[in-house]
Amino acid sequence: MIHCENLTKRFGHFTAVDGVSFSVAKGSIFGFLGPNGSGKSTVIRMLCGLLEPSDGRATIAGYDVARQTEHIKSLIGYMSQKFSLYDELTVHENLQFYGRLYGLRGAALQQRYDELVALTHLEPYLTRRAALLSGGWRQRLAMACSLVHKPSVLFLDEPTAGIDPVARRELWDLLFEFSSKGITLFVTTHYMDEAERCSHVGYIHTAKLVVCGEPDELKQLPVVNPPGTRRVDVTCEHVTVGLQALRRLPGVKGATVSGQPMHLLIEQGVAEQTLRDELEKVGIARADVRPIAPSLEDVFVALTAGNGEAK
Amino acid sequence: MRTPFRGFTAILYKEFLVVLRDPLTLFFMFFPPLVEMIAFGYALDNDVKHMAMVVLNEDRTTESRQMVERFVNTQTFRVVGEVQSVSELAAAIRQGKAYVGLQIPPDFTRNLRAGHTAHVQMLIDGSSSTIAGSALNTAIGVAFRESLLHFEAQTGLRELPVEVRPQILYNPAMRSPNFFVPGVIGVVLQIATTFATAMSLVRERERGTLEQLLVSPLSRWGLMLGKLVPYLCIGNFMAAVLYAIMAWVFDVPITGSLPTLALATVIYVFCLLSLGLLISTRAANQMQALQMTMMFILPSVFFSGFIFPRETMPWIFWAIGACLPTTYFIELARAIILRGADMADFWQHLVIMAGMGAALFALCVLRFRQKVG
Repeated sequence: MIHCENLTKRFGHFTAVDGVSFSVAKGSIFGFLGPNGSGKSTVIRMLCGLLEPSDGRATIAGYDVARQTEHIKSLIGYMSQKFSLYDELTVHENLQFYGRLYGLRGAALQQRYDELVALTHLEPYLTRRAALLSGGWRQRLAMACSLVHKPSVLFLDEPTAGIDPVARRELWDLLFEFSSKGITLFVTTHYMDEAERCSHVGYIHTAKLVVCGEPDELKQLPVVNPPGTRRVDVTCEHVTVGLQALRRLPGVKGATVSGQPMHLLIEQGVAEQTLRDELEKVGIARADVRPIAPSLEDVFVALTAGNGEAK
Repeated sequence: MRTPFRGFTAILYKEFLVVLRDPLTLFFMFFPPLVEMIAFGYALDNDVKHMAMVVLNEDRTTESRQMVERFVNTQTFRVVGEVQSVSELAAAIRQGKAYVGLQIPPDFTRNLRAGHTAHVQMLIDGSSSTIAGSALNTAIGVAFRESLLHFEAQTGLRELPVEVRPQILYNPAMRSPNFFVPGVIGVVLQIATTFATAMSLVRERERGTLEQLLVSPLSRWGLMLGKLVPYLCIGNFMAAVLYAIMAWVFDVPITGSLPTLALATVIYVFCLLSLGLLISTRAANQMQALQMTMMFILPSVFFSGFIFPRETMPWIFWAIGACLPTTYFIELARAIILRGADMADFWQHLVIMAGMGAALFALCVLRFRQKVG
């Protein structure tokens, strides 16, 4: 559905996006991750035809995003990072406006309006001004507006930034619902748990696409699981004290706190008992050690670190 | 379906709602022009009357007192004090207590009776050229009148050899508001309308709503026209209010063709709104838009003939004035309102303004980039 080849954007001497190539299959949920300023929004803006690529090309459903902008516009919906609806207008008026903007009139407009209101459950807020909506409802409205012309691809630039966890989960439920209707979703996010929900993820770091694929595939990558190592989860009291102790232990390649438990990358030969003994030395009597699979966070940490070493 | 004005009605719908929902914008569109209109209308008054005069009468005779009376009777002067020396006279003017000092020397009556020239000295504060000019003209007039009366008395002639019979057309009372108020309307309309559209697109850019519009199939012409039309309605409504104030508060009736004036106003407001949109396609933020708007407004206050006649300007300022729509509007408005002109007399002005409006609008559409960054 979306296809990028060597997509590059330079602003003067600064390269915001450097030779990015990837494909997104129809109907998939593509999670696009990366730190702030890594080029996520720039890629989205190029795909939406808002920015001209400096080099390379991208197509959506076979149409060139830079040259066949008019075709692209009817194919895509875009929800930008900022809340970009009109605060002065009510929910109803915002929807009406976007419907008309995409050329809907009369009965067709009314039908689509009803569908979107039902889909996003906005009924109770129709007469409320957009300025007075809470974060989650604003995003719902923005989503409804970006779907008004039944796009095949929906671009969402950090849709869940700054909204509460309940609204976040509800928003994702909504995204799955769109996906089930065959809409291809392209989502940028900071949250690893959201990345885990995507059918495909891409990770961009300092303007370059580091990796791209299905989450489970990525977790199998050799760079994430160096030969002769394994990952364990250690649950104990005083994790920060324990972390310092275990980091000193030979054979422990990496240690990080993940909430209450610690996640360790250790050499195959390091026994679980060795870890417990080490913790006992610093006064932690009980520790629960069990093997785990790498998370996407582990994947990105491993890849970013590897990338840094390569330079 | 690709029409050149695609999305126009959607933008129109939205823009009307946004403008009418935003009381602050409406307030700033309407309130300052009304205040400016009242302020300019009353303050810009060239009619010099009852200017302060101090008198040094060294003669102290009936004749000398009658001379002072004649000056006062012109309505141009009023006596605010008597002084005893020339230095006091000069001091009164220097200190701003009086614009004019009248000195009647001790030999005034003696010379008058002997048939010699009786001199009267007048000191005029030249720091305000308008006031000084008016004082000078009145003083010369008084002297001529007195001299003529003397000649008539001596020679017995009852008729003057030459007489000018002035007939002042169109503003017989020569009131200043008649000259200024139409110009004030031109200037205050410009301030309100240009700011309004200069801000509107910039605000959308700042808020991020512009991006949302750009990914839609909205055309540039549709966007610009949709932005312009609501303000065109508001601007012309405002103009109607200003004309009403002019006619009923300042007592300056519209003597010419009302439809022509209405057409001129619509074209003029269209010009200004297009200029505002052109600014908003270039300005990165509201502050820049504000500064750029001021850059266009200031020259039009000075070089449009609003206050200073353009004919006496150095050619460069005259040329700047010739590029401003305000210049043509003010000339046209004065002609229609004061001199009863109609379409046939001033169609060139309408054509020039329409041309400027079309060019500005086309320019803002063509210069508007449908990309960001």
